[in-house]
Amino acid sequence: MKFDDPAFWRAGAISTVVVMSIVLIMLTIDSLAVISPGGANVPLYTVINQHIDYKFDAKRGSDAPVIGGPEPLFGKSVDAASAEALIDKGKLVIQSRACMDCHTFFGNGAYYAPDLTKAWLDPAWETWQAITGAATREEAMVKFLMDPVTNRTWTRAMPNLGITQPEAEATVAYLKWMAAVDTNGFPPNFGRMRSKP
Amino acid sequence: MSDIGLLQTALLLGLYVALAGAYGIVYAIARLQDASILHRTSLILYGLHGLTAIVIVAWAPLQVGWKVLIVASSGAFLAIPPITWRFLQQTHETEVQG
Amino acid sequence: MYRSQQLALKYLAAAVALFGVMTVAGLMSAYHYVNPDFLFGVLHFNIAKILHIDTLIIWLLMGFMGAIYWFLPEEFGRELVGIQAAEILFYVFCGAVGVVAIVFIVVQYGGGDETALWFINQGRKYVEAPRWAAIGVVVVMAVFAYNVLGTAYVTRKVTGITAVLMVDLVPLLVLYLDAFPAISNMSADLFWWWWLVHLWVEATWEVLIGCIMAWTLMQLLGTSRRIVELWLYIEVALVLGTGILGLGHHYFWIGTPNYWLTIGGLFSALEPLPLLGMVIHAVYDAGTHHMKTTNRPAFYWMMAEAFGNFLGGGVWGFMITLPQVNLYAHGTQWTVSHGHFAFWGAYACGVLSVVYLVIQKVRGLAHLEGTLWKWSFAALNVGLIGMVGALLVSGFAQAFVERAIGGSTHDAFVAGQENRWFVEGIVTRFIFGLMFAAGYVALVWDLLTIGRRAPVLATAGAAE
Repeated sequence: MKFDDPAFWRAGAISTVVVMSIVLIMLTIDSLAVISPGGANVPLYTVINQHIDYKFDAKRGSDAPVIGGPEPLFGKSVDAASAEALIDKGKLVIQSRACMDCHTFFGNGAYYAPDLTKAWLDPAWETWQAITGAATREEAMVKFLMDPVTNRTWTRAMPNLGITQPEAEATVAYLKWMAAVDTNGFPPNFGRMRSKP
Repeated sequence: MSDIGLLQTALLLGLYVALAGAYGIVYAIARLQDASILHRTSLILYGLHGLTAIVIVAWAPLQVGWKVLIVASSGAFLAIPPITWRFLQQTHETEVQG
Repeated sequence: MYRSQQLALKYLAAAVALFGVMTVAGLMSAYHYVNPDFLFGVLHFNIAKILHIDTLIIWLLMGFMGAIYWFLPEEFGRELVGIQAAEILFYVFCGAVGVVAIVFIVVQYGGGDETALWFINQGRKYVEAPRWAAIGVVVVMAVFAYNVLGTAYVTRKVTGITAVLMVDLVPLLVLYLDAFPAISNMSADLFWWWWLVHLWVEATWEVLIGCIMAWTLMQLLGTSRRIVELWLYIEVALVLGTGILGLGHHYFWIGTPNYWLTIGGLFSALEPLPLLGMVIHAVYDAGTHHMKTTNRPAFYWMMAEAFGNFLGGGVWGFMITLPQVNLYAHGTQWTVSHGHFAFWGAYACGVLSVVYLVIQKVRGLAHLEGTLWKWSFAALNVGLIGMVGALLVSGFAQAFVERAIGGSTHDAFVAGQENRWFVEGIVTRFIFGLMFAAGYVALVWDLLTIGRRAPVLATAGAAE
């Protein structure tokens, strides 16, 4: 009987793998377009010059980023090349300091420290702005990154990773851009506390 | 999804697969021992699995497509142990003969 | 003994040693949670975690390589082609691992530039090793592939198992190339990173361990080649049939199109089905042999593999794989619970099974039995299950408090971490981690002594 024959199952294994791989490749090609900067879900890097928010979209049934009017970072608007340079630098900082081995980005990484997907929008920065005497949110974030030990937020402190001012500014730019990526609603209910049942 | 609803749904989904596994394991042992009590136990376990599936379909805040998947998977979980067992016996018997 | 098999012994020994490093680093990481001032300013959580997860990958890879170097010369009927290069590279590999680890511990970070990525830390999970070391890994794997493919070419002999293995080695190697780029766009970076991680641990590695278990079954239970090959093809079809598009369960929230929620969720939900078949098969094998075998430790570890794979990957995975649940569970200790259970069941148990099988052959024993292995087996498995259960509780608490109620902000994160259930789970995890570590110590002692201490259990001459 055919089912007893390994050749039957070998053919099944080969054809399954081939078909699934072809589908994966087709979906990958489509996805790459969507996730490239300027694609449907990922904004151009110059979005760091704009106001970014994250609101519930009733039509979609999930939270979605909202890109608003001009809101330059560190008080100055940057062109496409400079924005890209900041993002490139920010990512190098994030990798060199192994941020992903304490924090998560889009929920990926390590779970010892908070998820940073919407860190740019975190309401806690208002408090930190006041405490650090910073004029803007981005200034507070830079101050924190450059000296997280003095500025520790709770018992589990972030260590000092020797982040310089330009590196901190690039990282903040990166976080602002990241907050504008459409993540299909992750994290849910951001900033909206629900009452316990 | 509400907060408690999240935890309850996840637990139900885990229980759903765990009970399917328990049914499969007891079914296999029943075939080995040829013991009717074990066979009945395996059916009870599958019954509990089915009940879990019904609760998920009736109550969990999932869209219709996922509920269809749950029902279809339950059918697959029912069939996998006997089909696997029969196939195992067949291939090993062919070995002995051939 | 073939030179390839002598090399196998070295790889298996190195694997077991790195398993120990992984355990120590794991205890350190777990203790950071319990006492956040632990080694503050000296060695932080992220470095301990890097050591833990990178040694995980390397000890398992070395275990696979050791197993394959052991089985292949008998499969081909001759020494492996290029074995001398492989022997030299073993020492290079171990040396590189040592240097990378020391740099992680002592240097830790560089500046935000390419130099840091080339020489210190690349900061991408599981592939944090600097680029120079990644090149080394590629060379080691390429020579490994050459050993396999070259010998097949020279002997013109290809069995079903070696055919599957050889086809599998190609994507295994190619996928690793994602260890090099530093893509600025986080969505694109993670997209390709998941090709490497998922298509390694939920695809190509599944095939590798399938081949290894096929050889192990043949030697342990005397199962015929025809049967193991038949089931290997079925496993490849089902596991890759669900796992290739199951990759989509990592594409829910990284900026990818929302059709991945459906596709990834669907195929991922199907992944437990073949694992149930594997469990049935394991019960069949155990039962028809009446749990009798010439090597009980190897047999028990193989059973643990089938059950652990189903529970850790299938049950635990199914809990969190539907996107509606995953939205809340994603990136929490729930994930950690699943990850520990799945890696243990799918790979660690299988490698340990092979280690015991090889020891039986090397010590020339007709029967391999003892007492200590049972303690080790119990402590490791109970320790692991205890950790997993504790992390499940912490994960529930975190998903509930931080995500569902708290709104996923910094303050919500803190509330989750300080939640009573979370903390109790985290402390319990550490305690069970200590049990696991004790099991490891017993394992090493047992591997060094089993079959040697009690001559009455050993018979002179070669094993059957």
